[in-house]
Amino acid sequence: MSDQLVALSKVNKHFGPLHVLKDIDLGVARGQVVVVLGPSGSGKSTLCRVINRLEPIDSGTITLDGRAVPAEGKALARYRADIGMVFQSFNLFSHKTALGNVALGPMKVRGRAKADAERTARELLDRVGLADKADAIPAQLSGGQQQRVAIARALAMEPKLLLFDEPTSALDPEMISDVLDVMIELAQSGMTMIVVTHEMGFARQAADQVVFMDEGEIVERGTPAEFFDHPTSTRAKDFLSKILAY
Amino acid sequence: MKFPIRRLVLLFAVLALVLAAGCGDDDGNGESRAPEVTVEEEVEFPAGSTMAELADAGTIRIGTKFDQPGLGNISLETDEPEGFDVEIGKLIASKLGIDEDDIEFIETISANREAFITGDRVDIVIATYTINDERKQQVDFAGPYYVAGQDLLVREDDDSINGPDDLAGKRVCAVTGSTPIARIRTSYPEAEPVEFETYTECVDQLEAGQIDAVSTDDIILAGYAADPKYEGKFRVVGEVFSTEPYGIGLPKGDTEFRNFLNDVLEDAYEDGTWEEIFDATLGASGETAPEPPPVDRYP
Amino acid sequence: MDFVWDQRELILEGFWRTIQLAALAGGLSLVFGTLLAVMRVCPIPPLRWAGATYVTVVRNTPLTLVFIFSTFGLPRLEIRFSFFVFAVVALTVYTSSFVCEAVRSGINSVASGEIEAARAIGLPFRQTLSLVVLPQAFRAIVPLLSSVFIALTKNTSIAVAFSVTEATSILRRLQNQDASATFPLLIVTAAGYLVITLALSFAFSRLERRVAAAR
Repeated sequence: MSDQLVALSKVNKHFGPLHVLKDIDLGVARGQVVVVLGPSGSGKSTLCRVINRLEPIDSGTITLDGRAVPAEGKALARYRADIGMVFQSFNLFSHKTALGNVALGPMKVRGRAKADAERTARELLDRVGLADKADAIPAQLSGGQQQRVAIARALAMEPKLLLFDEPTSALDPEMISDVLDVMIELAQSGMTMIVVTHEMGFARQAADQVVFMDEGEIVERGTPAEFFDHPTSTRAKDFLSKILAY
Repeated sequence: MKFPIRRLVLLFAVLALVLAAGCGDDDGNGESRAPEVTVEEEVEFPAGSTMAELADAGTIRIGTKFDQPGLGNISLETDEPEGFDVEIGKLIASKLGIDEDDIEFIETISANREAFITGDRVDIVIATYTINDERKQQVDFAGPYYVAGQDLLVREDDDSINGPDDLAGKRVCAVTGSTPIARIRTSYPEAEPVEFETYTECVDQLEAGQIDAVSTDDIILAGYAADPKYEGKFRVVGEVFSTEPYGIGLPKGDTEFRNFLNDVLEDAYEDGTWEEIFDATLGASGETAPEPPPVDRYP
Repeated sequence: MDFVWDQRELILEGFWRTIQLAALAGGLSLVFGTLLAVMRVCPIPPLRWAGATYVTVVRNTPLTLVFIFSTFGLPRLEIRFSFFVFAVVALTVYTSSFVCEAVRSGINSVASGEIEAARAIGLPFRQTLSLVVLPQAFRAIVPLLSSVFIALTKNTSIAVAFSVTEATSILRRLQNQDASATFPLLIVTAAGYLVITLALSFAFSRLERRVAAAR
């Protein structure tokens, strides 16, 4: 725990009467890949979203690089700029080209010159395999292509941490591997990542730590080998038996 | 849906009652300054004439202004039209055997007087109506029964305007479609003409300081200057720059009716009724009655 | 008809005034209406309430009343401009509330996920609005704005009663000079408004096609 990048301590969150995060403690070391698993409604997406404060929390603390998350305003915007986020539904800016989507943040948030930002953006599009789609608008791209543009957009900010909120759940099966390939390449390059997903293969292959959530609690955590081969809790066993049934 | 409508009706009924009660209260202080005119008991007119029609109907529709103190005005106190033009109307009605309560006074503004006559919305118009050739192409005029002149009304403390030649760069208000606004436009092009539908609006703007002068017939302006509501606020400049013979407007071509109206006016000149009417209305602010102008029985 | 032809210069002057009124009030309404819409969606509650109150009050007030307020009310508060400026103020105050509601509907049509994505890359509220939300909102409301501006063009004729010599006021003046020319004058004036509003619709439908292609 010497080089912790993200630390959550006693984090609680309610949606009305629903207690969606219960006393969550989680540490992520620099360069680590944490995969969060769990049935739907377990609070794993919310966990992802509280880290860059798209959802405010009720109690507890969240720190990035030892600094607490600012509550609002410019400081919060600067904090978010250091955390990339990839959404289930891509959320590309539909009035901008792929290149425009990727270059927007570096230009407007980081204050980089247009030519400079666009050069980097082209490199990133090349890295996700979409060099030829730079001038396409989102409506002209497939889901898998859109999600890879979204990853490039997140990377363009040179983030300390990448959050993935079910990045492949809205994709047709044949597109999933394109996205996962990019994610595995990122994991291998040493990017710190928190990934909420149902892709067990990705978890086995890329995760340093697997966190299993159910009903707002972290029920179990460990290496992929420990979790998949020797789950200790009944809830985890139950979950795995359903997932791996087919 | 029925219930709210019933409530609405009830609301209006209550409102109407309150208004009626409010009006009734004012009867006490509504002093009648107007001279008494005796309504003719026995009237006889040639069959088929307009006079016979009106006398038979027992009512007459008279277009007048409702916003010109001293001439044709509805004051808040009495809620009845009053003034010089209104009294001339009552005089004519009396000669037709029509009681003043049976006169229907209809508001005419400068811009719609010809249209109201040609469209048969009124029988006659007595509304500071200047006789001119252009209008004579559409309507006929009896009279004149008074001759006014265009003048300027300014704020009491404004000594920069002492005649029409001081109007360059000044905002001068008159009513849309009136002779005064046309004259300001053509004869004093350096003034900035301002147009509203009524003189009340012009005077309101003058009081608010948004415009510099109101221009129309001296006698109308004198009415505003003397109105207790505006006491000490305005003065009439007193440099008349036109001649405005006021006539009674009637449908074009009805010469028989026109002769009758002219006869009524001439009789009133002779027997002193005209002077009485003047003293009771325009003269109330101290002005003495001038000589009445000779009527013009143009062919 | 000869009379109308003789007076063509005056009639054109009237329409030039109408166009000036519509263009000035339109431009200002676009600015103020957008500001109001931003107020209505911003995270500061007092601004949201102020925006909502403004729109509720002004949208439900007859335009003539707004004109009376500007032309007769403002001078009483020692605020004095030309009657033309008063008319622009009245039309702007009124039209802004309609522009606001149009822009707000455009803002609501922007996918909430894109707004989250903008916040996630670190754009503050103002830039999220100006770079992501408003550009898309305006593309979506081109047809709505078109009808707001056509209504504005016709609404300029209310200024006839408030001492602005726009097209309708010229119509009234000329009709007064020669009542027999009423119908020719009416037809010519109506045609003039039609030319302006058709030109507006044409411009807006071209704009609509252009932004549709870019969407």
